[in-house]
Amino acid sequence: MTDTLNVRIKLRLTDDRSRRSGRAAAAPFALDLDFATRPGINIIFGPSGAGKTSTLRAIAGLIAPDEGRIAHGERVLFDSAARINLAIQARRVGFVFQDATLFPHLTAAQNVAYGVHRADAPTKAARVDELLALFHVAHAARRYPHELSGGEGQRVALARALAARPAVLLLDEPLSAVDAPTRALLLDEIDAAQRAACIPFLYVTHSHAEAVRLGAHLLLLHAGRVVQQGRPLDVFNAPQGASAVRAVGTENLLGGRIVEQRPADGVTVIELAGARLEAAYNALPIGTQVTVGVRAEDIIVARQRLTETSARNVLAGTIRRIMRTPEQTELIVDCGVELKVSITAGTLAVLDLHEGTEVFLLIKARAVHLAS
Amino acid sequence: MIWPALKVSLLVVSCATALTAALGLALAFLLARRNFRGKELLDAVLTMPLVLPPTVTGYYLILLLGRRGLFGAPLYSWTGWTLTFTWPAAVCAATVVALPLMLKTSRAAIESVEPKYELASYTLGKGELATFLRVTLPLARRGILAGIVLSAARALGEFGATLMIAGNIPGRTQTMPLAIYEAVLSGDDRRAQLLAAILTLISVTALYLTNRLSRTSGAYAA
Repeated sequence: MTDTLNVRIKLRLTDDRSRRSGRAAAAPFALDLDFATRPGINIIFGPSGAGKTSTLRAIAGLIAPDEGRIAHGERVLFDSAARINLAIQARRVGFVFQDATLFPHLTAAQNVAYGVHRADAPTKAARVDELLALFHVAHAARRYPHELSGGEGQRVALARALAARPAVLLLDEPLSAVDAPTRALLLDEIDAAQRAACIPFLYVTHSHAEAVRLGAHLLLLHAGRVVQQGRPLDVFNAPQGASAVRAVGTENLLGGRIVEQRPADGVTVIELAGARLEAAYNALPIGTQVTVGVRAEDIIVARQRLTETSARNVLAGTIRRIMRTPEQTELIVDCGVELKVSITAGTLAVLDLHEGTEVFLLIKARAVHLAS
Repeated sequence: MIWPALKVSLLVVSCATALTAALGLALAFLLARRNFRGKELLDAVLTMPLVLPPTVTGYYLILLLGRRGLFGAPLYSWTGWTLTFTWPAAVCAATVVALPLMLKTSRAAIESVEPKYELASYTLGKGELATFLRVTLPLARRGILAGIVLSAARALGEFGATLMIAGNIPGRTQTMPLAIYEAVLSGDDRRAQLLAAILTLISVTALYLTNRLSRTSGAYAA
């Protein structure tokens, strides 16, 4: 049975502390958190600067909150009222850092062995072998960290963290330095490791794919607060409130006003500066100023006007700009308002899209998120 | 004629180096990784012998440790023993003048170890002593080794402070630099040359060894 990690803390990061926690910006920054983990992998999701890493650092004891309480089951790690602040090494909170942070003077096997506590030599060696095998890095046991690839280094770091038998494991964007094919494999291994270890994992990421693939539960962070939580897909598909819409990474945020309510059809009509959009019904009064969020990947592009479609919104527009990176292709389409649309590189060729091409955009009412 | 001075020098240098290394390392860790009141003052006081004329350092040592000294007087009335003009006095002098080199070099070496490695060690459940011995020390070992060799060389060459507090008693407190001085004064050029050659050889060997050590220990990018 895994115990719940309860976090209720306030933390104002001064400039000095921001620097030490690796934050580039000098802006004063406050965390105000209140959440409990669920069994399995808990995703901490949010834009950069939302306080994801600081949250992990506070739980691990790398920075001290100004006030509040952190407890794992019955075990209190921090309590400002009771003046409890357990040392990092006494918390049994494992940490997998963004850059692995393997000890450079030890081999992969020695790094893992470093985490194993109070065991005789044969037991320790067996445990090291088992963990290296679990993460498929047995072949790299005798290599030094600088001889490991990004993926191998992160696997050794995971093995090392679990070797110490932590009660909670924190992972800070562990895949950011890993190439895409390895990333998919590592996601499976992290998932398997969580099931085997049966302890709560807190996993910081700003990748939707990682969050959906791993997360049993997602905590959406925005400006130092948890603005929404739930199953990752539910949160991504139905962000509640303006900051949640921003935090899930909604590319299109437009100001508008509710002009019509059709509860029988299940739709609310919003007028934007140059277009009308139908959203899933929302009981706000007519005339309310709202922010509308539409994710770039939720918009379908068509060359002809489709008539028989379930999409409630069909907007005519012109491609203003095409932005291509190795990861994605994005269009800026002017249809009264400018919308960012994410498509695959193949679509661009098949539909013969160019700057200036006239297109139709299809958006389901459910993909139009309202935030008043 | 050579052997007694060499023996005294080896004894004094090994004791002083061991003392300097242990003391210097502990102090360097405190100065590098802890914050306490008077930290920079402590650093300044311990570094003083680096800039003071050695005879002045020696004079202060007499004020502290001599028979009528601040610590020397109670020691004498309690045990009837006094440090001055004994080989341990030479060790004291060599330690005090060598300590700043050890301190400066290893403090810089410890400060150059990224704190993230120590934090990683703590998250693996290791305490501060274990972390220092198994992470900080190995990662700072080049600088620490350099500090030890530098202070050994300084201890070997120590002259002024040693003369002040330990005197120049052949076979007991006369180290090689003192023996060279005496040989030159008494016109014994052959003896002076031989002693100088031995000192040069030891110093060059020490330097060569440090260079080799720091090359072969560079198996990882620091």
